[in-house]
Amino acid sequence: MPTVGYCVIALMLTAYVLLDGFDLGVASIAPFIARNDNERRIAMESIGPFWNGNEVCLIAAGAALFALFPSAYAASFSGFYLPFMVVLWLLMFRGISLELREHLSSDLWHQFWDAAFWASSTLLIVLFGVALGNLIRGVPLDASGYFKGSFSFLLNPYAIAVALLAVCVLGFHGAAFARLRIDGPPAVRAASALTALWWCVAALYVIVSAATLYLRGFDGHWATYACGAIALAALIAMRLALGRSDVAAFAASSLFLIALMGAAAATMYPYILPGYPPGSGGLSIEAAAPSVAAMTTALTVTIGGGIAVFAYGSLVFRRMAGKLRVEDVTQ
Amino acid sequence: METVLADRLQFAFTIMFHYLFPIGTIGLAPFVAAYTWKAARSGDPEDAAAARFWTTIFAVNFAAGVVTGIPMEFQFGTNWAAFSRSSGSVVGQPLAMEGMFAFFLESIFLGALLYGRRGKPTRFMAWAAVMVCLGAWLSGYFIVVTDAWMQHPVGYVAGPNGTYQLSDIWAVVLSSWARWQFAHVFIGALLTGSLIVAGVGAYYLLAKRETALAKRFVRSGTIAAFVFSILAAFPTGDINADDVTKYQPVKLAAMEGLFQSAHGAPLAIIGMPDSKNRTLLDPVYVPGILSYLAYGNFRANVNGLEAYPREFWPPVELTYYAYHVMVGLGTIFGGITALAVLLLVMRRLYSTPLMLWVLMLLVPFPYIANEAGWVVSEVGRQPWIVYGLMRTAAGSSPTVSGGETLFTIIGFAGMYFLLGVLFLTLVLREIGLGPSHPQEVPV
Ligand code: HDD
Ligand code: HEM
Ligand code: HEM
Repeated sequence: MPTVGYCVIALMLTAYVLLDGFDLGVASIAPFIARNDNERRIAMESIGPFWNGNEVCLIAAGAALFALFPSAYAASFSGFYLPFMVVLWLLMFRGISLELREHLSSDLWHQFWDAAFWASSTLLIVLFGVALGNLIRGVPLDASGYFKGSFSFLLNPYAIAVALLAVCVLGFHGAAFARLRIDGPPAVRAASALTALWWCVAALYVIVSAATLYLRGFDGHWATYACGAIALAALIAMRLALGRSDVAAFAASSLFLIALMGAAAATMYPYILPGYPPGSGGLSIEAAAPSVAAMTTALTVTIGGGIAVFAYGSLVFRRMAGKLRVEDVTQ
Repeated sequence: METVLADRLQFAFTIMFHYLFPIGTIGLAPFVAAYTWKAARSGDPEDAAAARFWTTIFAVNFAAGVVTGIPMEFQFGTNWAAFSRSSGSVVGQPLAMEGMFAFFLESIFLGALLYGRRGKPTRFMAWAAVMVCLGAWLSGYFIVVTDAWMQHPVGYVAGPNGTYQLSDIWAVVLSSWARWQFAHVFIGALLTGSLIVAGVGAYYLLAKRETALAKRFVRSGTIAAFVFSILAAFPTGDINADDVTKYQPVKLAAMEGLFQSAHGAPLAIIGMPDSKNRTLLDPVYVPGILSYLAYGNFRANVNGLEAYPREFWPPVELTYYAYHVMVGLGTIFGGITALAVLLLVMRRLYSTPLMLWVLMLLVPFPYIANEAGWVVSEVGRQPWIVYGLMRTAAGSSPTVSGGETLFTIIGFAGMYFLLGVLFLTLVLREIGLGPSHPQEVPV
């Protein structure tokens, strides 16, 4: 049963990466594809109705981790205390800038909030990348199952490579989303951004994969290699889709993200918090799991709730689909 | 700084700030739903204006609630790791339910509502508004379940390594403490929402703007506020006090400033507790009433603080004052809204500026009453983080130092100051523009 719980957490985090990934991605490339106030406004409007719902995935994943693996929740959140607080502040700041931009009419304010929104979104991607990199690399757990992540420990080359990959791949994902939602000059610029970003993604994917193999050795779970192969196929599909089909490009980058997250989860399994140095054990999902009653409840809630959310969420989002044009949002 | 103290300060500050917004969300949601429904049905532009106006205010409030809610969800892990590890098996459940069942519902349908705001209200939007309301209420319920378990733990067994493991989820979710606590919290929020609607209406009447809508706001706001201020005391407040008497007698003694046990204990209306000298200074008593309220008998014995070891006392002064502020304000709300309803029945309300002024200036006070109530229940629970099971001092994160937490408190203070200023600016701007202000976006 803990394995099912582990998959649920991995799935929720993947859903978060897919969903908030596109709005973080749009934000991170907005300065490059939108050149004037109206275009930037449209870039924001393209994610306006979604970001809040998307962030709820993160909250729900956090709460699910609390319910399914309390000691992993306790150790990881307290171990990454300061980085986590920075993430919280950035999430807040980002929410504030997105919501307030709409309500203030001065151009200067718009420029300020656009810059704030770009900076906080991009930094968030970097921090998430660093966090994921460190999870895969392992954390120095002590005998009582806690650790303290210092900045010098967390900012290692491997984690930074993962963070760069995250920036590029979410930029790609965001640009692909922007092409689905926006018409006009920003869409044209998004197309050229896609080509450039693809090369970065491909290069970093090779580097990170090689580094992961070097770090964790070749004795990983078979699913690691399966996911790695799927990611490679998705990467090729992303390239083939460029200039042909926007839907296919977005679908391919989604698949790529899913495969990456799957590979990360499979690498860590059966530990939910692998120890550092690699091979020194860690907090296993068996050890972190709560009572059977708690596990059953949490699984029922997350799986049942997830299906329901998916059902009504796609109904509602379908009603809101369609492209935004610059004329639509001009005041 | 002592680690636990810093953690408590940070939790208290962030939760009290967060709670300012859910009050508005829970309390305004039914008004948004009702106005949207009415507008979708009648197609009347005035109804549509009312719906749009309250949806916008609701949305600003909601966004602030989300932004301040995210830190709450993570703080159990960051600052209360030992507590999370020992009790996560239980308290993680309602939090997961809140995420899966309430937050998604609320935010997805609010997205739909805002997206459709450019056009005329439709049936779909009316349903979306009902779903948003349901989401807000559910989220309040699940979080109260979490708190209720910490006040009165049920449905658990002791597990390995000093943990408490869930044994019966229904006992936790449907515990009687949770149900009555929720009822009281819910009424407190609805009372606030009603007073906001009435206060905004009063402002428009005084400013001689939007008169037709303003009268509707004042009317529905005051009537609802009158009903809710009665329900806040009876039965919900009363039953909460009964639960406290039964399960947390030390808290009751602190709330009432009762140091010495007494038969036929009096109710102190006014007075200053002095926990060092163990007396209530300058009290004004109503004899026998406390015994009656606690046990339904004017002569019953009520245990005072001295019946318990000093180490089990909560901070007496804070608990006492907070309780008296809440009950005092509750009484005042009852009085004012009763008068307002009387004027309404006499058809004099809209032309009595004094009453309109009072209604307008009353808006901040239900917030104070709500916050004070939480201080009673949380500070009064000390020194326990989980009543009778785990001390607050044992709950904090072993790897996070007091200095680090102090640093992040300052960070939160800065961020929340910014948020607070912007929130007020936006809401006041929206009220300044008014419901009939033409939409910015062509339909
Ligand atoms: C506008 C808000 C409001 C008003 C007018 C009142 N309350 Fe209240 N009260 C709350 C808002 C509130 C609250 C914020 O919602 C609390 C905090 C925790 C809780 O359960 O509800 C609360 C807590 C609370 C508690 C503590 C429960 C605990 O320790 O867990 C008691 C005993 C009462 N209330 C009793 C009353 C009585 C007898 C009132 C009579 C006038 C009253 N309240 C008015
Ligand atoms: C219903 C959800 C809530 C939960 C699960 C909750 C939980 C907690 C926890 C874990 C602590 C820290 C440990 C402790 O000091 O005991 C705490 C303290 C505190 N909370 Fe709550 N709380 C909730 C609601 C609120 C609200 C809405 C307020 C105020 C508006 C509030 C006010 C406080 C205060 C003032 C403290 C500090 C008490 C002290 O340390 O002396 N709480 N609460
Ligand atoms: C420690 C306790 C608390 C935690 C962990 C917490 C967590 C959160 C989170 C993560 C959100 C954002 C949800 C979203 O994205 O939609 C939120 C919003 C909300 N919270 Fe809290 N919260 C706490 C206390 C409370 C209390 C005491 C109440 C009310 C009784 C409450 C009611 C709400 C409501 C109704 C919302 C929806 C947004 C809003 O109303 O502004 N929360 N909370």
